[in-house]
Amino acid sequence: MTVLWAGLAVGSIYALAALSYNVAFIASGIFNFAQAQFIMVGTFVAYVAGAKLHLGLAWAIIGGAAVCAILAGLEEVLAIRPLAGKGRSGELVTTIGVAIFLDGLAEVLFGTDPRQVPYIQGPAISFLGGNVTPDELTLIVLAVALTVLITVLSARTSLGLRGLAAAENRQAAMIRGINVRYLSLGAFAMAGAIAGGLGPFVGSTTFAIYNLGDNLALKAFVALALGGFGSFPGALIGGLAVGLVEAEVGVYLGSYYQNAMVLALLLAVLLIRPAGLFGRPAERVV
Amino acid sequence: MPAVDRIPRGLAPALALVLVLVLPWLGIGAFWILQIELIAFLALIVSGLNLSFGFGGELALGQVASYAAGAYVAGVLSNHGVSELSVTLLAGMGAAALVGFISGVPGLRLGGWALAMVSFFLVLLIPDLISAFTSVTGGQAGLTGINRPTFFGISTTGTDAFYVTTVVIAGAWFAFMRNLILSRYGTALKVLRESPVLASSLGISVYRLKLMAYVLGGLPAGLAGVLFAYLDSYIAPADFTFTVAISILAASILGGKDTIYGPVLGAAILQLGPLRVSSFQQYSLLAYGAFLVLGGLFLSGGLLGAWRRLSARSRRARLARLGRLGPLGASTDATAPAGIAASQEPLGELPGAELSCEDLSMAFGGNVALRQVTLTALPGRVTALIGPNGSGKTTLLNLVSGYYRPGGGRIWAGARDITAARPHKISRLGVARSFQSPIIPSGLTVSEVVASALFRRRSAGMAAAVLRLPGFRRARAADAAAAGSALSQVGLARMAGLPADAQPLGTRRLIEIARLIASRPAVVLCDEPASGLSADEVSGLSELLRRLAEAGATVLVVEHNVQFVMDVADEVVVLAEGAVIARGEPASVRADPAVIASYLGGPMPKVGAGEGDR
Repeated sequence: MTVLWAGLAVGSIYALAALSYNVAFIASGIFNFAQAQFIMVGTFVAYVAGAKLHLGLAWAIIGGAAVCAILAGLEEVLAIRPLAGKGRSGELVTTIGVAIFLDGLAEVLFGTDPRQVPYIQGPAISFLGGNVTPDELTLIVLAVALTVLITVLSARTSLGLRGLAAAENRQAAMIRGINVRYLSLGAFAMAGAIAGGLGPFVGSTTFAIYNLGDNLALKAFVALALGGFGSFPGALIGGLAVGLVEAEVGVYLGSYYQNAMVLALLLAVLLIRPAGLFGRPAERVV
Repeated sequence: MPAVDRIPRGLAPALALVLVLVLPWLGIGAFWILQIELIAFLALIVSGLNLSFGFGGELALGQVASYAAGAYVAGVLSNHGVSELSVTLLAGMGAAALVGFISGVPGLRLGGWALAMVSFFLVLLIPDLISAFTSVTGGQAGLTGINRPTFFGISTTGTDAFYVTTVVIAGAWFAFMRNLILSRYGTALKVLRESPVLASSLGISVYRLKLMAYVLGGLPAGLAGVLFAYLDSYIAPADFTFTVAISILAASILGGKDTIYGPVLGAAILQLGPLRVSSFQQYSLLAYGAFLVLGGLFLSGGLLGAWRRLSARSRRARLARLGRLGPLGASTDATAPAGIAASQEPLGELPGAELSCEDLSMAFGGNVALRQVTLTALPGRVTALIGPNGSGKTTLLNLVSGYYRPGGGRIWAGARDITAARPHKISRLGVARSFQSPIIPSGLTVSEVVASALFRRRSAGMAAAVLRLPGFRRARAADAAAAGSALSQVGLARMAGLPADAQPLGTRRLIEIARLIASRPAVVLCDEPASGLSADEVSGLSELLRRLAEAGATVLVVEHNVQFVMDVADEVVVLAEGAVIARGEPASVRADPAVIASYLGGPMPKVGAGEGDR
């Protein structure tokens, strides 16, 4: 059960990253490779806020959210918008560029050693037949709560519906008076804010380290592929599944096989059900 | 096509290769020998990326994994006493091809960035897998004691011998790459990059072409890996990191991702610049990140592409100064296709095949697009399919082309049941297609685009293409002749050598029609061919479709331009809300009260282009 808790906690981090990917993806149609790097930036903001400035948790969340909202907005305007409509996956290259740039910035500013983020701490408690630390429990609760919140918001609010409309058909959404460009910018900023605000929670478990985003990006991608791109419940289920597989494989086969088994899981799902568990295939071809 | 391949084009790189080969005897020192070897390794890896990503548009970025596979295969084989270079090269290429294949499996289904993510995932796996098999691979500490090999008994131990081996292998790969890209396979990759749908409508098996791109894209990385293992007789997981993957992508974009020799330039700049400076290490991620953003935004064709554009511009300027604005300059204006059907050269006899749909039904979720549509289009006749937007016209064409599986009913082409056939198989039966918005691949000349229609016929094979055997040359000449003849049918003969995707809409529609003609089709499917054309162009188009039918083809055309339909069609079928509401000769359909009520709307037909119907 202890392994299960650890797997669920790591899976929650993947799910949270996948959720933030989805927010940007739904409204802009773009898979922003650098999205997971905003979580990394958030952990460093939390490190500075907690270990250097000794600020409270609320300030760490707000700080991370603000920094990453600005960074994500800049990314949308500078690295993605100029390529809009040109096809050829140009934005994949530029978003990889932004991701690597943020990695490099963190490396130059903070070095390559992990930094402890001092927010959610405490001894492990025994819970439902296993040991779980407070930071792990917080992550699991947070992942479930945020999934429910975003799912409800996207289906019930005008903003959410506009986002869904734009994802379905950008031109039709524009004709119906939706400002797709503001929506895209807004979605990037919001996705950035969500990712950055998670910094103190994620960092308490993973520590702040410059290459955190690379692993998160790949695992969040697997979570999305499993759950179906654009589906919020799918992101949660997918993320938790990846975390559990990693934890169980780590115990029974050894850590060297963790990533290999996650990849095997991904390939299996792609071959059997390419649209993911909660996704649906595209319709029109020409 | 022959113009692409005049001798001087291939000669300059060949001379450059010979020059590089003899450099050690011109007195360059050990330092430069090492640098050139490192440039050759990087250029090989980047060339594989250009093949799959630059030309094929498939974001298979797992070259580092193929590189590692090649290196470890060579290293492990050497440790087990295998010292023959030809053997380790073959084994390394095999391993690299396998890795390319695995990274491509999801691309067969998903494509796009899903492919990129899985290939990055493979890069992440490298250290894990090396550690998991530490007893063989040496684990994190690395693999040592890799002795330089012999090549059919000739030792490559000496500095010069290993240098020559490296340069010859790299040169051989680039010759292979050049001949591949400047052949039908290169054109097919560019078609795939533009649109997999177009590729399958031309009879290209998208599945096989993608697999070819992934596997071939891994090969040069495998070659580089094998050679790299012998360089220092030591390899370690640190040689195959995510940063290496990023530097490969950067080199590709720097040199020009859709160029043949750009990788050499990109690799040379990166190797002689940042990679050599040890203080760069700390800032490498920052610099690569910034470069990928800027390069992705402003350097779309890479340095080689920019140079090519500049030299083309200066050539035009020079011609203009000399007052000899040849066909190149004159025909770039938008009004070029003054009259269609300039040539009355007979089309010859086309096979023709009866196309029939029986009780065809199709639904997208709850949205019913077609309800039990029965329709027959006969050889030698033009059948027009009209109806309001959303009445199911394009859906019907897409079902015939094989892009969807129908919910019910059957489709026949001649005696063949094509209901469940794959699009490229249907195309190979002689069913040719034009699209609502013309799909013209970029980076090809008008003649090459038209010749791409001939892919459904047998080719001379990849070996013949790469080795430029007589069979390949004959096939290429025949392709160019067929393309030229089809172009003269639509009056575009003098535009054969111009870039196809830069032409105005009317010309691009005509290029599509020429592509149809060149395929010698049995069945022609045209989706709104007249929309966006001028009155003159529409009447030329009518004549072309009539001539296709008179030559024996079955022509099925979806159109909103009622005047055009009345002129061109032998039979008109009217769809409304997914069902046939009328059919018959144009005049009788024109007078049908149900058609007037649901579509034509009164005695004056409203002529206009519609879009977005299924």
